Amino acid sequence: MNLKKQFMEGLLTQNPVLVQVLGMCSTMAITTSFFNGLGMGVAVLVILTLSNVIISLIRKIVPDKIRIAMFIVVIAGFVTMVDLFLQAFVPALAESLGVFIPLIVVNCIILGRAESFSYKNGVAASFFDGIFQGIGYTLVLLVMCIIREFLGAGTFGGGLLGVDGKGIQILPSQFPAGMLTLPVGGFLVLGCLIAAMQWALSKSKK
Amino acid sequence: MSNEVQTKEKVNLDPKYIIKLTVTLFLTCVVVAGLLGLVNKVTEPNITAANKAKTEAAMQQVVADPEGSTFSDALEITEDMNAAAASAGAKVTEAYEVQSGGAPAGYALKIVASGSQGNIEMMVGVDAEGVVTGVSVVKNSETAGIGSKVMANEPTAAGVGVLSQFVGKSAADGTLAVGTNVDAISGATVSSKGVTTGVNAALAVAAVMG
Repeated sequence: MNLKKQFMEGLLTQNPVLVQVLGMCSTMAITTSFFNGLGMGVAVLVILTLSNVIISLIRKIVPDKIRIAMFIVVIAGFVTMVDLFLQAFVPALAESLGVFIPLIVVNCIILGRAESFSYKNGVAASFFDGIFQGIGYTLVLLVMCIIREFLGAGTFGGGLLGVDGKGIQILPSQFPAGMLTLPVGGFLVLGCLIAAMQWALSKSKK
Repeated sequence: MSNEVQTKEKVNLDPKYIIKLTVTLFLTCVVVAGLLGLVNKVTEPNITAANKAKTEAAMQQVVADPEGSTFSDALEITEDMNAAAASAGAKVTEAYEVQSGGAPAGYALKIVASGSQGNIEMMVGVDAEGVVTGVSVVKNSETAGIGSKVMANEPTAAGVGVLSQFVGKSAADGTLAVGTNVDAISGATVSSKGVTTGVNAALAVAAVMG
């Protein structure tokens, strides 16, 4: 087990969003305010870590033929639990993330890590893989939220800071391009981020 | 995924193997379902309470006398109410009787109408005389920065909040329509029309309820 390597992979060289290009749907859809990004990131981190640990624990007894079905059952179970807990204890977040919480079941980051990592590695390594990949995902979400919120609405920390949780207005309200908070803005920002990541990675390899 | 590539591999029809697969998957499902049952037991009271508080808060925003009003349990939605809402182009999903100081003071109706990006769920208060006492949006998916202005009750060109302008309207004003007796937020006409449709439906339903 190589913690430092796993950490670097999750954050940079194998970043789930920017390098593996997994979990695009949620990345586009919810990165419109800081609070959403943080909530979604942490929800995925928790579910990913739990399901990684369980899948790693049962990997020896799962028949190969039905492993995908077993993964999905485990993941769906955790997602439903998180969904219920959010609705019960953080209703504001549950409401603003809406249908994207149940959709974590089909978030390919979680199934992807189950198949490519925790099915083949020990419990501790899988646990840290969940944490680091989750952090990598959360960081990208936060960067996208900050960019889209700043350019699209001129605010910072929407849903969390400022009056009525509307965020702190930085740009005067006539400047921002509302387009950036729409799906098209998600594609633009994500495209630029992936390009920047590839450039940085190819540069560091030389 | 490498196993799927070798499709030539014979399917193992050994009954023991098939039973093993079935039992494993079945047991996993049973365990997961059991755990979910437990979680549900813990969270359900909170979820119910949170939903109820949300509905009550929304109702309080739309009645004339928020302090002194009490609300009945959800009333049954009759065929007539459904028909009245449908004729105005929206759906009524919940209805509550409002009591103010012990006297009946009209109804709070939850209406679903279509906006520009999906359904707009709103609470509309109508008093005993069939006059709108308030409109508040409970749930929507309107475009942030455009339709969301309507949902947040921002002022129209006339200077009145786009949702507040409905207060005082009644069936006597005729069918409400954007451009004639309702002002839209510029750029958010579809969202404004959605809300207007909802208010028309609420007035129609309240008229049926008497």
